[in-house]
Amino acid sequence: MNPSPILSALHLGKTVPGPEGDLTLLDDVSLDVHAGESAAILGPSGSGKSTLLGLLAGLDRPTTGHVRLQDQNLNELDEDELAALRGRWCGFVFQSFHLVHDLTALENVMLPLELKGDPAARETATQWLGRVGLHQRRSHFPNQLSGGEQQRVALARAFAVEPALLFADEPTGSLDHANGRHVSELLFELNRDEGTALVLVSHDEELAGRCDRRWRLEEGRLHA
Amino acid sequence: MRRPRMLSRTAFRPWRDGAFRLLGTALAIAAFALSSVLLLRAELNERFDQRTAEVLGGQLVLDGSRAPEPAQRELMDAVRTVPAVEFRTVLVRNEQTLLVSARAVAPPYPLFGRLTLAPERFGTEYTADHGPPPGEAWLAGQALDRLGVQVGDTITVGQKELKLSAVLKREPDGGAGFYSMSPRLLMHHDDLQATGVIAEGTRLDHETLIAGPPERIARVRSQLEENLRPDQELEGVDDAAEETLSPLRQLTLWISLSVLLVALLCGAAIYLASGERVQRHARHAALMRCFGASRRQVLDDLLGREFVAVLPASLIGSGLGVLLVWAIRRQMEWQGAWSAGPAVWALALLAPLVLWASFALPRLLRLLRTPAGEVLRAGGDHTRPALELGAALAGPVALAALLTQSWQDLGLVLGILVVLGTVLPALFWPGLRWLDRRSARWPLTLRLALRRLSRRPLLTLPLLAALTLAIATLTLAGQTGTRLIDDWQGQLPDKAANYFLFNLLDEDKPVLRDWLDKHKGEPSPLYPIVRGRLTRIEGTPIREAVTKDKQDSEEALNRDLALTTAEQVPESNRILEGEWWDADAGPGQVSVEADIARSLDIDPGDSVTFVTSRDEVTGTVTSIREVDWASFEPNFYFMFSPGSLAAQDATWLTSFWLPEGSGRRLSELLEQMPHATLLDVDALLERAEQIARQASGAAFLLAFVLMGSALLVLGAALLAGQNQRGLDNALLRILGARHALVRRVQLLEFVLLGAGAALAATALVLAALWPLGQRLFDGALPISAWQLLPLAAIALITVLGGLLSRRSLAQPPLALLKAG
Ligand SMILES: Nc1ncnc2c1ncn2[C@@H]1O[C@H](COP(=O)(O)OP(=O)(O)O)[C@@H](O)[C@H]1O
Ligand SMILES: [Mg+2]
Repeated sequence: MNPSPILSALHLGKTVPGPEGDLTLLDDVSLDVHAGESAAILGPSGSGKSTLLGLLAGLDRPTTGHVRLQDQNLNELDEDELAALRGRWCGFVFQSFHLVHDLTALENVMLPLELKGDPAARETATQWLGRVGLHQRRSHFPNQLSGGEQQRVALARAFAVEPALLFADEPTGSLDHANGRHVSELLFELNRDEGTALVLVSHDEELAGRCDRRWRLEEGRLHA
Repeated sequence: MRRPRMLSRTAFRPWRDGAFRLLGTALAIAAFALSSVLLLRAELNERFDQRTAEVLGGQLVLDGSRAPEPAQRELMDAVRTVPAVEFRTVLVRNEQTLLVSARAVAPPYPLFGRLTLAPERFGTEYTADHGPPPGEAWLAGQALDRLGVQVGDTITVGQKELKLSAVLKREPDGGAGFYSMSPRLLMHHDDLQATGVIAEGTRLDHETLIAGPPERIARVRSQLEENLRPDQELEGVDDAAEETLSPLRQLTLWISLSVLLVALLCGAAIYLASGERVQRHARHAALMRCFGASRRQVLDDLLGREFVAVLPASLIGSGLGVLLVWAIRRQMEWQGAWSAGPAVWALALLAPLVLWASFALPRLLRLLRTPAGEVLRAGGDHTRPALELGAALAGPVALAALLTQSWQDLGLVLGILVVLGTVLPALFWPGLRWLDRRSARWPLTLRLALRRLSRRPLLTLPLLAALTLAIATLTLAGQTGTRLIDDWQGQLPDKAANYFLFNLLDEDKPVLRDWLDKHKGEPSPLYPIVRGRLTRIEGTPIREAVTKDKQDSEEALNRDLALTTAEQVPESNRILEGEWWDADAGPGQVSVEADIARSLDIDPGDSVTFVTSRDEVTGTVTSIREVDWASFEPNFYFMFSPGSLAAQDATWLTSFWLPEGSGRRLSELLEQMPHATLLDVDALLERAEQIARQASGAAFLLAFVLMGSALLVLGAALLAGQNQRGLDNALLRILGARHALVRRVQLLEFVLLGAGAALAATALVLAALWPLGQRLFDGALPISAWQLLPLAAIALITVLGGLLSRRSLAQPPLALLKAG
């Protein structure tokens, strides 16, 4: 085993106030992800997968326990420091793509690079758009692209910053079978080529089956 | 007990929803604008009728050379009447004689308006609502000078001695006969018999001034019309109104237009906000349908509740409108009951609901068409564009019809609205496209901010147009109001004439010169005045010659005109056609003012003939002149070449400037020339300025409301885009953007929006001021601090936009995962 994991969660718990007392969404969740590794968190809808992903990526604060990302305790960082950390190390792919509608495909891929202050953003982004096969569509806006194409732009955007870690929340959930296949092929191919660690959340067994490691989330508890 | 509480709950709960607050505010603003204008217009119309009645002396005036017949008097029993008998008589005192125009009146004179009096010549003015009591007389100021009498003295009218108890400054119905006015004497009708003028066979003018409720006046009028003696004539307010309505019509037209703009902007805000309301209601409606509620029940429940909630907003706005009109009535000291009838009141209260019905209702009705299941799945677009567009057009058109009340005005107003609504946004389109393309190479923050605008042209363009219009209107209203008057007064030559003196005799000229020298006054040229009536053009008697433009020509024909001679063109005149004569030109040439030349169809080369008190004067027209009536110099319709009037009885007219404070000394001068008449220009100017200030105040208020409604549209647009904006911001945060950057993008967006509108507004203002500058200020643009208002507007839009969109900044990044 590698000495230090790129991402580790220790005794994570999340409770939210509900109308009938507190509601426990996650209970004592611990996991490690090492560099270059791909990990899947499986579970039915409503089991708390997105909640867990949000905690792991520092988008939300846990009620108990903590997350370490690149040896940083996320609990100790403020919102801007978290944003900077994400910008530096993480890529994201969402179920409903979440491209910026006011930016072209190319500009969407450039966006995280520009946020990092990369002077070669345009060239890098152009290259990445080529790698997902959308060079021709670079000046198109998201509403001019199909769902599958939008998700491929999202992949290019996620990989363009050469992240150490990629978070994906149901990346094929909004796509039909063929497009879903295409996107997941691309995801694993890039993951392998770039040596990026992948944290994938899904209820799709087939997708999860292609990952190195798998956990199951049931009623807020994580099972190997 | 339960019902009222339930009602208040349904009425007030929706205000917790931001979308409803916006909708309610928009409706309240529209209600405020619509109701105040409808009520104010009713007041203005009535005031205008009243003003006309003042000038006329009554709503109806029966004029004849003898008193009305007993039968006619009986007909007038149902209305209030005042007998007013006018005659000319000569007052004598210490060998001074003076022809005055006397008027004998009885209570309740005056029927309209008030008399202005002074306790002594140049004393402090006060007003009275009655004529002099029996045994007393009030006399115009210049007559006091000429006769050398003072208040308290006794004067003799015919065979009757009357005590002079006040100086008469103005009668409400005193005609403004500039050159032909003989001084007025006002006395009581009861003293008329004792003067003996009736017995002497003096020519008398018997007027019966009539006032009363409109329907009675109409009845009396039609009855009198059937029983008129040949010497009698009837004149009513309506006759006069027809001739002079146009400024009032223009005013109401402009007000209607601005109010419709306000209503349209509020309508847009209501439309956007009600879209959000639909989303709030959708789930509830679908559930009701699922549980078997009929469409009818959904209608009653949702629409009923929405309507109950909307009602207070509309009423509050209307209430504020009523309050405004109330304040205006107080400020203007308008007496009597409100002029608006029940129909106008109903309209004022219902008009805002028409707006709601046309902009919000169709969107809400969508809820009925949505199948139960679909709403729960949050899918499906059940818009009925045809219905919504139709309603959104029908509402404003209906409001416009209510406001204008004439097909012609309706067409005009709608035309202007369509042009404003299409041309103005269209003007922004190329610029926006250009920026959109250019922005590809711009820094990220600027690009993001600009794209948020350029990628939503359907929202941005109308918003830009509305803001531009509002900023421009506000700037113009501020600029052209009092500033313009100040500028114009500043523009007048330093020593512009502030007094006119006419009826001077030859021997008065040196006296005047010496007096002006002594008091550091500034003289102007002297003009000889010969009064004449135009009788022939090109030898053809005038009645046959004149065909065009009846009104104007009547004005010129029905009175004596002041004719003069001059060697040089007056400074404020401009020759349009032909040429001014040389210094040594012989007599017999005429220069004619352009408007009168047009209406009488006079061209250079024509000959014009006037009848004067002596004989006739004929001249050949050699030039047509444009006259600047606002120059406050003596101006004339017909000017002859030197010598043309040598054989006539002439008096002299001049104007002069006196330093402030010397005015009181004028009585000294007038004592030396008792026949002369003095006109105080400063007093006239003051009155004009007062009117202008009131008008500009109204314009400013309207512009202010317009600005408010434009900002409301901005708020509604932000509200409608709030969710997407929140998600966009969250996405930026997830991808590593700092908080400050997201906020900067957002502020920059509003700066750009404001700057675009401010730039266009400035262009619009300059374009509007350009012709004004050409006309009034010799080509210089009247620039003032108001030109900075667009800059302030940028700040306002940025701050307001920032405040209204701050919630989308607070959106946690996690929301993106929740959004699917
Ligand atoms: N802030 C919150 N307040 C209340 N309930 C929440 C909150 N966040 C998530 N939940 C609930 O927790 C459960 C898990 O949600 P989520 O993590 O989105 O599940 P998944 O992604 O596995 O479908 C759901 O029932 C959801 O309604
Ligand atoms: Mg989920």
